[in-house]
Amino acid sequence: MKILIVDDFSTMRRIIKNLLRDLGFNNTVEADDGLTALPILQAGGIDFLVTDWNMPGMQGIDLLKAVRADEKLATTPVLMVTAETKREQIITAAQAGVNGYVVKPFTAATLKEKIDKIFERIDAQ
Amino acid sequence: MDINKAVQLDAARALITALEADDDQQAQQQLVILTQSKESELFHEVGKLTRELHEAMSNFNVDSRLVDLTTNDMPNTRERLNYVITTTEDAAHKTLEFIDNTLPLASELKQTADNIEQSWHRFRMKEMNADEFRSMSKEIEAYLPEVKQHSDQIHANLSEMMLAQGFQDLTGQVIRQVISLVEEVEDNLVRLVKIAGTHVEDKPKNDKPVDPIKAEGPQINASDNPNVVNDQDEVDDLLSSLGF
Repeated sequence: MKILIVDDFSTMRRIIKNLLRDLGFNNTVEADDGLTALPILQAGGIDFLVTDWNMPGMQGIDLLKAVRADEKLATTPVLMVTAETKREQIITAAQAGVNGYVVKPFTAATLKEKIDKIFERIDAQ
Repeated sequence: MDINKAVQLDAARALITALEADDDQQAQQQLVILTQSKESELFHEVGKLTRELHEAMSNFNVDSRLVDLTTNDMPNTRERLNYVITTTEDAAHKTLEFIDNTLPLASELKQTADNIEQSWHRFRMKEMNADEFRSMSKEIEAYLPEVKQHSDQIHANLSEMMLAQGFQDLTGQVIRQVISLVEEVEDNLVRLVKIAGTHVEDKPKNDKPVDPIKAEGPQINASDNPNVVNDQDEVDDLLSSLGF
């Protein structure tokens, strides 16, 4: 399981990377916004995408839309981990096809719960 | 202005002719014409200055973004910077608290390990009687689960400390917003200086289109805004209400 972590703050990427490692996911790659994430995704081999929303360059919501619009990437599960908490934003993300939405600051338990849920649903399909 | 100048020249020439001809009445008349034309030029200048002042004042009023900046964005920025202070303070306290909780666990493990090591040494040197040996066995038996428990707790505490570092992302987003506000204030002040000095060249745009999903970073006063969710539970509720 190879996971791409996208966040413009290296501290947050590191936190998510460490939490994922605790959950048994050791294979992670990082990108600092949508523009740098897309080529990594398009190169193939990414099984799961964890992305922030508010980033310079390409924002997380646009990355999500780009992933869903790309035939090869469309089914990649996407977890949004963000400080954006407006109702319109959460609804927009849901409609764009996000698989989970975690608000910052978050706990290790929340991250685990959302990831578990995403994979439960995928396994059920 | 040229017509005025021509009138002045004519009057001046006529004045000289009149003076040379000792025609007092004519000289007087030409002098009046000269003075009047000068006065009208002065009135014209005053009028021009008044109009410029009026335009400058209207431009000043038109620049409502500056008013908006001072009445809304500035107090908002104060709140944002206060948010940075509280968030960093909370994170520092949280981290220090977990350190406080972790240090005794490490000391306890070390203390018990020291004791067992000494007993073990005596056992190896065959200096231990049966009772002492039984006591050491019990100590070791109790120590092993304690090592596991304490290590789990230390791991959990370290994870919490790591999560607390998320403050850097949250405050960083807010500080970026403050930087862009400072830049905007700077631009507007430069424009204000231009207005005060000469005419304003470009009027600022007053109405920015509102984008409801524009990324805003952490919400500073989430509890005062009904359009904002307060925690993960509310996010989950909202999503499940939508059928996700």
